[in-house]
Parts: sequence; structure tokens; C-alpha cells
Amino acid sequence: MPGYIYPNEFELQWGLLIVLYPYLTGLVAGAFILASLERVFNVREVQPTYRLALLTALAFLLVAPLPLLAHLGHPLRSHEIFLTPNRKSAMAMFGFVYAWYLAVVLLLEVWFDYRKDLVLWARNDRGVMRWIRYALTLGATDLSERSLRFDDRAGRVITIVGIPSAFLLHGYVGFIFGSIKANPWWSSVLMPVVFLFSAIVSGIALVLVIYMLTTMFRWRKVDVACMDKLAQFLFYAIVVDFSLEALDFIHRLYEAEESIQILSQMVESRLFLSLIVLQFLMGTIIPLIMLALVSPGLRKGGFVRLPPELKHLTYLVAAVLIQIGIFSIRWNVVIGGQLFSKSLRGLTVYKVQLFGIEGLAMSVALLLLPFVILWALVKVLPPWMDEAPGEAALAAEGPAAGLPSQG
Amino acid sequence: MRVGGSDYDKYELSFTIASQCAGSTSVHIRALMPRYSGSRFRGGDGPRMPQQVPRLVFVFAVALLAMVIARWYLVPDTFGDIGHYRAAAVDSIAARPMKYAGHQQCTLCHSPIQEARLASNHKGVRCEVCHGPAAAHIAAPMEVKPSIPRGRDQCILCHAFNPSRPTGFPQIDPVVHNPLTPCKDCHDPHAPEPPVVPESCAACHGEIARQKLVSHHASLECEVCHAAPVTHKSNPRSARPSKPTDRSFCGACHAIGDPRAAIPQIDLQTHGQPYTCWQCHYPHHPEAP
Repeated sequence: MPGYIYPNEFELQWGLLIVLYPYLTGLVAGAFILASLERVFNVREVQPTYRLALLTALAFLLVAPLPLLAHLGHPLRSHEIFLTPNRKSAMAMFGFVYAWYLAVVLLLEVWFDYRKDLVLWARNDRGVMRWIRYALTLGATDLSERSLRFDDRAGRVITIVGIPSAFLLHGYVGFIFGSIKANPWWSSVLMPVVFLFSAIVSGIALVLVIYMLTTMFRWRKVDVACMDKLAQFLFYAIVVDFSLEALDFIHRLYEAEESIQILSQMVESRLFLSLIVLQFLMGTIIPLIMLALVSPGLRKGGFVRLPPELKHLTYLVAAVLIQIGIFSIRWNVVIGGQLFSKSLRGLTVYKVQLFGIEGLAMSVALLLLPFVILWALVKVLPPWMDEAPGEAALAAEGPAAGLPSQG
Repeated sequence: MRVGGSDYDKYELSFTIASQCAGSTSVHIRALMPRYSGSRFRGGDGPRMPQQVPRLVFVFAVALLAMVIARWYLVPDTFGDIGHYRAAAVDSIAARPMKYAGHQQCTLCHSPIQEARLASNHKGVRCEVCHGPAAAHIAAPMEVKPSIPRGRDQCILCHAFNPSRPTGFPQIDPVVHNPLTPCKDCHDPHAPEPPVVPESCAACHGEIARQKLVSHHASLECEVCHAAPVTHKSNPRSARPSKPTDRSFCGACHAIGDPRAAIPQIDLQTHGQPYTCWQCHYPHHPEAP
């Protein structure tokens, strides 16, 4: 351990779980913004991923606070964040940002989008699923044209409200770090914006991976136009994200405050693998080049024309690399900010535990949990267009048809 | 109770509270229950307000009501009066029974121990730091005895190696420093000796010493390979011992041409260039030939 550190800096207070938290919320915000592309900005090509993106955002949002609860160690006190709100603390406002995003944005949008299908499914289902789906309609089974128009309008309004809300959710996480003025690695007004764009990158990449894998495992054909559009947006998002991060980096170098030496030392030693190799090289440069060459981001059809299967595989590899890169960004922010001493004269080390509440096993479990939740959500609310009851079903049963009697 | 105007009696969101005989009241809640009559699903020129709105209003109202009720019951009365905490907590903490007696009370009966402690490096460590709260012991000296830490856990709270502790503070690695031996077998906690200059390297580097003892290098003294400044023993982190930096150092025994045949020998010119020997071979436990 080179240099000098203060006694309270030997052990890191924020570990792997706090790395997970911004990573998960970033995926939520990014997936939702992808969904909004279709709903608000009428990007028809990405329509196959619209519902999947919403469910992905919901599944990850449900898990997002769990790392915090595990880290704090008093989950039974978590309700107090709502009961005794502390308006002077940005961290304490998390509960309200979260509740707003969950209840007013995501759940409502999913509900309005699925209501018609839920009613139609409930009419034809048997057993428990019928009642689950009926309960989810809240009894609002009116499928008249007027009612469906209201669903559509309400969903659109909620998405419009949801975009700034998604910005709020993840920008808030960046704000938490960016506003810690005592820490030169964190304190930056660019932090919320950088977080936001990295969130968009990670969300689009995640939905691309999930869409491609689920379509393959369902033995369906991947929508070429959709994949191209996703890759195109992913390319644009990663360009903006990379530019912002480069701006932040160059700004720090040019400012060359008294912390620059220890930060350079940290980047060259402790963070070399996670920042230079994983975040910069593997997570940004390589996917950027792959997408620039193959996706229609710079040129229609891409610079390198590949067969569709190979092109999709390239997208998949790029998206997985981006996920690794974004996780490394979270790691570098959270862990990096604690690796150097406030004396600016020494570095400490962080060793990940394997087991225990803050350990690797817990983090892996929390990373897998959203996929389990997503699986359950997909069972109840299939996002696939080919399984949605179409206009024919509605016309056949009519808006006023009731639920069939049981059995 | 019907929700809304005349049109809304179509909704299932209806509560019927019916008083029944024999003094009991039953509440029939038909909210959100399925009704299968076709009229429930009719649209077109139906209700003015979309059916979804009252359902969602109801759900959000229930959530809000639950929040208000929870606040009513769970937030203490004095919360926020003088800060973001329960003001009455100050009184309730003050009303708790005293557990700590203070070291002056201990001195009344244990003055020899106190004098020894006050003259030692533990003069700042009060009795109750190690022996726990002693108010009950003061009140009933014979009935309640304070705890006596006999293991290693208590001592290593302060004396386990931590690089952020000040230079010169006695620190050990609990894993390698006389493992399983209670600290008080060697150290008197009431009068710990000031750190003495260790006589052999093994006093601090026990793990390396033990490993070397079972290796082919057992007969080599530490000083053969390391030149330690005198101040290293009294101030180890400020003056570090040297390490061999030259391949020819190991080559003195291991280069081809040494008459001792049992010693592994290599050609220094070709073997493992350009690395120093200890970058590949661990000298405290070199691999068997």
C-alpha cells in the first residue's frame, strides 16, 4: 500500500453492492428511454422491443433498491424514508424518486399498454392465470374504441412524463456522486449527464441482447430492421457518452487540480484493468468500431456488409462488451472514488468478498434476480407481438363481451 | 356507496355496507370483482369518464390512505420538533439505567492495577474498554463480576496490522503471530512492555521464518540475502531491508561450475533472462531440484 492514508480510509465503505445500484438504475432508465422511442418519437422499427423494454425496465427497477437495502442492513426500516422524508438530503429523496418512477411511470404505462390484451387474455384463459390477468385489469374491462383510445392517449402522456422522469432517476444517481465536493474523483457537474447517457447506452444494449436471445430461443426470426435501428441508436448513444466522458477527462487534465497526481497514479495502477482495459478499450472503443463498421449509424447498410446472422452476432458481441464497459464505469466511479486518500498521498486497495451480504455471490444473485422477475413478467404479460391478441380477437369477441364463465 | 354519478353504477367499484340483525355488521365489498353480464363491458355511448380512471384513482387513493395511516401510527409524536429525529429520544436515552461506572470507581478497590496501567502504554485505555460496563459490579462487587477477555479477539481490535495506524504503534498479524496463544500469556495487559527491538527477524516475519525452516534454504541466515539498516528493527517502515537486485547474487551458489553438486545449477546467461531470480523463484521456499 503506497503512500499515506487516513485511518478511516483503509476499509472501503461502499463496495460491490453500491456498484450494482447505479448499474441497475441505469439499465432501467435506458430501457425506458428506448421504449419511449417508439411511443413518443414514433420510431416504428423498434416496435418489437417496446413491450420487452418496458418489462425489462420494470424487472430491473424492482431489484434496483435491493443492493441498497442489503448494504444498509436494516430493510425493515426502509419505509421510514417515506414516512419521515428528509428534504435536505438528496439520498433520502431516493424513495420518492423511486416511487414516482415505479408507480406513476412504469406501472401505469405497462398497465395502459397491456389493459386491452389483459382483458382479451383473461376471457380466453383458464385457471389461475385467468384470475391473475383479470385482477391486473383492475376490473376495467371496457374495450370500446373510445376506451382504447384513452389507453393509447394516457400511455403516450405517461411516456412523455416518463422521459424526464427517467432522466431524473438516473441523473439523480449521478447527482449523488457529483455533488460530493470533497471527492475530486466524483465532484463534477457533468456526472449526472455522463450517468444519464451511459444509462441510455446500457439500456439499449441490454434490450438488444434480451430481444435477440429471447427471439432465438423462441425459434422466431429476428427483425432485421429492428436490430439495425437498435444498433444505430446504440452507436449514437455511445458516441455521445464517449464524448461526454472524454470531455470530463480532458477537463480534469487541463484543470490539473492538486488531486491530478494521485488520480493519475490511481488510473495507472489500481484502475488500469477496469478503466483502461475494460471501460475504455473493451467497453467503448471496440464496440464503437464494431458498430461504426457494421451498423447503419454512419452509412446506410454499414461500411462492412455482412450476412444478417453475422451482423446480428456482431451487434450481440458489441452489446455484451458495452455491458461490461458500463459495469466497469460504475465500478470505476464507486470504487475508484474511495481508493485514494483524502490526503492525496496514498492509495488503498479493495478486495471483494466472496460470500456475505456485501460479497460477490450476493451481487451475482442480485444481477440474476431481474432476469427471474422478467421471466415471470413475460409469463403473465407476453411482450411478443405474435402472441398479442390482434384486432381479429377484439372484433370476434366485441368490446362488450364479458368474461366467459369459469370452467 | 356508489362512486361517481348515475353512469358509474355500471362499475364493479361499489361497496355495499349492510347492517344485519343480531347487532353484527357485515361488509360486502364487491369492488373489482368480475361481473359477467354483458352490460359491464359495453362501450360506445357509455360513461362519460373512461372506466380506467376511477379504478386507478381508487388504487392510488388506497395507497395514499395507507401512507397517511402509516404516518399517523408509525411516526412518533415528537419527531421533527428539534431536528430530523424523535425529540423525546433524548429523554428516553437519559432515562436508561447507567451501565458504565467510570475508571475512578475501579481505582477505589484495584489501585495497584490502576497504578501499573497508568504508568504503561495503556494509560489511555480505561478499565471498561476491556472489561465491559462495570456499574453492576460496583453496585454488587461479589455477585456481579466483570468479564475478563482471555482470548485474542479483544487485543487485535487495536493491535492487528492496519497500514493506516501510526508508525511505531505495536501491530501484529494475528494469523502468523503466535497463533492460538492468548495474548496475555506473553503480554501483561495492565502493564504492557513498550515495544522492544526484536532480536531476530522471525519476531516479526514469523511466517517467512517458518516457511524457510522447512525449505532448502533453512541454513541461510536472513542477512545473507537482506541487508537491514539498524533502524529497521526499531522503525520498520521507515528503513526497509534490501533485496538482491542482481542475478549474480543467486548465481554465487546456483551458477554452473559450483562444486556442490546437490545445489541446482543453471546457466546465468541463458536461464530466464532478463528477470531477477526471485521474480520467478520464491527464495524463502524454493522448489525442490
